[in-house]
Amino acid sequence: MGGNAAVACFYFDFATPEEQSPATILGSVLRQVVSGIDEVPERIAKAFRDREKVIGGQRLALDEIVEFIQDMSSSRSTFICIDALDECAAGHRVKLLDSLHQILQMSPSARVFITGRPHIRGEIDTHLAKRATTRSITPTNNDILTFLRAKLRDDTMPDAMDERLEEEIIENITETVSEM
Amino acid sequence: MSLRHINDNINSFNSINNVWNNCTVADEKSEILAWLSPLEPRIRHQDIQTRRVEGVGDWLLQTQEYRNWLSGIRGGESDGSALFCYGGPGVGKTYIR
Repeated sequence: MGGNAAVACFYFDFATPEEQSPATILGSVLRQVVSGIDEVPERIAKAFRDREKVIGGQRLALDEIVEFIQDMSSSRSTFICIDALDECAAGHRVKLLDSLHQILQMSPSARVFITGRPHIRGEIDTHLAKRATTRSITPTNNDILTFLRAKLRDDTMPDAMDERLEEEIIENITETVSEM
Repeated sequence: MSLRHINDNINSFNSINNVWNNCTVADEKSEILAWLSPLEPRIRHQDIQTRRVEGVGDWLLQTQEYRNWLSGIRGGESDGSALFCYGGPGVGKTYIR
């Protein structure tokens, strides 16, 4: 893919729903893509100068943002990563998926990476049409072991811990997780 | 004033002018970036990055689904340009790398 790829990420969060309309999310993506290059593309700079004259410096509309992302990702590998899409309001989510679909359709070098809970799988299949591959995420035993050992190393009361207790903790937690 | 003197002055004026132009260009870029979006997703990204435990979730990078997505190879029904990783709460979706 080359070393000059653009990577943009967005983390959904139930705590900040007002920041989560498709235009603000993709605006944030566009900002990250633009910040990685030396010179702002002339079309975007012009749009900025035109709006600057309007009081309040009106922001871009969703379709303009989509178009600019399409433009920029057609000449450069662009990875758009979205975490916890299930935490996005349902109405916004469908619109966002449609916009991502528009971007993928126009730019073969664009890639979208999404994480979320299983219940939105149907929506992704419908709105990204035939573009999405799905993959289930579950921690492997090795993940749990590595994680637990790292946490135990950071223990703030190391005196209360001995080898037997450590092994017991690891054994109990890994067993419980594998039964889940 | 000698001619050389004038030349020097012109040169220093030019270099000041260059610095000035670079500043305006840089300023306009940061203004444009702020106008595009006021959000700072990097902060959350860096926070997650520092809390991630080295080696956990690396297996995803070896899966066929991920590799096909990265290199843009069609996988079955899909054209492979989007990858959806799903799982219940707390399985580590946010922290996969």
